[in-house]
Amino acid sequence: MEKVGIVGYYQVKLASDANYGRYEMIFEAVRGAIDHAGLKKKDITTVISATNDYYDGRTISNCFTVEVGGGYMADESKVEMDGAHAMLYGLMRILSGNHKLAVIWAGSMPSCFPYHSARLYETDPTWERPSALVTDISAGGFQMRAYMEKYGVSAEDIAKVVVKNKKNAAKNSLALPEAQMADITLSDVLNSEIFADPVTELMYAQPCDGVAALLLAPEHHALKITDKPVWITGVGWNQDPYYLGDRDLSRNKSMELAGKMAYDAASIKDPANEIDVAELSEAFAHEELIFAEALGLAEAGKASTLNSGIDGDIAINPSGGALGGNPPCATGLIRIIEAVKQLQGEANGYQVKNVKKAIASGQIGMCAQNNILYVLEGGGN
Amino acid sequence: MSKMTRRKSMEYIKKEYARTRTMPASWYLNSYKYKYNVTHMKPFLDKLKEGKLVGLQCSNCNRVSFPPKLVCGNCLIKPDRWVDLRETATIATYTITYLKDEATGKIIEKPIACIRQDGCDTTIITELAPEINYEDAYVGMPLKIHWADNLEGSLSDIKYYDVIDDKSKDMALREKK
Ligand SMILES: [Zn+2]
Repeated sequence: MEKVGIVGYYQVKLASDANYGRYEMIFEAVRGAIDHAGLKKKDITTVISATNDYYDGRTISNCFTVEVGGGYMADESKVEMDGAHAMLYGLMRILSGNHKLAVIWAGSMPSCFPYHSARLYETDPTWERPSALVTDISAGGFQMRAYMEKYGVSAEDIAKVVVKNKKNAAKNSLALPEAQMADITLSDVLNSEIFADPVTELMYAQPCDGVAALLLAPEHHALKITDKPVWITGVGWNQDPYYLGDRDLSRNKSMELAGKMAYDAASIKDPANEIDVAELSEAFAHEELIFAEALGLAEAGKASTLNSGIDGDIAINPSGGALGGNPPCATGLIRIIEAVKQLQGEANGYQVKNVKKAIASGQIGMCAQNNILYVLEGGGN
Repeated sequence: MSKMTRRKSMEYIKKEYARTRTMPASWYLNSYKYKYNVTHMKPFLDKLKEGKLVGLQCSNCNRVSFPPKLVCGNCLIKPDRWVDLRETATIATYTITYLKDEATGKIIEKPIACIRQDGCDTTIITELAPEINYEDAYVGMPLKIHWADNLEGSLSDIKYYDVIDDKSKDMALREKK
């Protein structure tokens, strides 16, 4: 596979109720990424976005973002999933050989709509919606209990993930202010409001406003733009069935298969030793542990024993992860940007030492039904 | 980072000022009509009316789904073999939700569970008997179906599940009423 490089990025600071209109926030992210790479509008040859019509309150919502997203009179398309999936589409456009620069942008503003009601429309209209038993939160409750009981993991073990990520978020100036908790304790997490037993409020990645953008270029062009592009050396993606009753919620099979595909492409044989940083899109704290196991960073049921702090054996979510702010559609793209910062040594305040290989994931659906994983290398570090 | 010239176009956007107004608006998606197939459901619902449980088995991979699935995702074919299921089941996982009643503002505690009916490979998301103390519930807990008083041939015929001590007493398939 020809090398494709990440040559620029920008993330708007996350906010629970941002003082932005939708278009200006998208513009800030896209213009910010173009400026970061020192490029111009005319350098853009393709634009791929990830938003959701329901979240945007408009159908075919990308038709309104032509100017602000950089897509004016350009090759443009949209993915109704996570930004990490939009990047996959952009990667394919670059690999087609027809493009020199892809803009990938993604994000939404949950301050404008009832997020949990919107998620309810994700449930099956004939089976599940009438009884309203399944919501995005109760699905997380099912998943957390299934994982805890299968492996004897305690709620404290899962609360430790929250403490780590919220403390990491406190060092990340772009994280959601409400999620930046430098002094958080285990008992704060366990005693926060109960959402769906055993999930408590702080174990849930709070949806917030945010947009992020990232630029891709083919190898020869990437090297003209920057001295330290980050190379995509592997990508894998996979999809579980929608119906929760079809799945073993104590593990995540789609992430296992996505990881295998990405690792094969990047020739990674021993992920626990080869990978230095993992930025994983965890909608709930326990998902970080399930993903770490699915990706071979820990044995099944043992992820809670990992030393996954910024100075640990393998740093997981040094940026704070989605627990540091979860802008729907942008979360996975932000994980990729954070992994890029780590590889380039630009994660000010939460930089992991000596990063050579990083992974970043995005997810979509109830209990992380669909997962996508990237292996990233380079960055001049 | 860049070899090329930096632009300054971002600077104005950093200033703090009230740059938004909000306009309330509605989006009438509630009026959607969902069309769905019932062909694969009919025998299942007919059996419920008789107080019997059946799962739908894929004749290729032998996976049994309950409730029945239109298509086996594993094989991309329509499962077509009906198999009788026992009345006993097991908790696969459960959670307790706390939802605010919009009318009264009261928080309603609502336990819900994924339950695996014995003899099938999928779980059904439903409720347990109200008298069950959830502090005592656990994954793997044995259960037995509690039928509604009047069977109508719909999913609501499964009122909820009762806890049982010993599944061996319920090994026989339910006799026709
Ligand atoms: Zn099959």
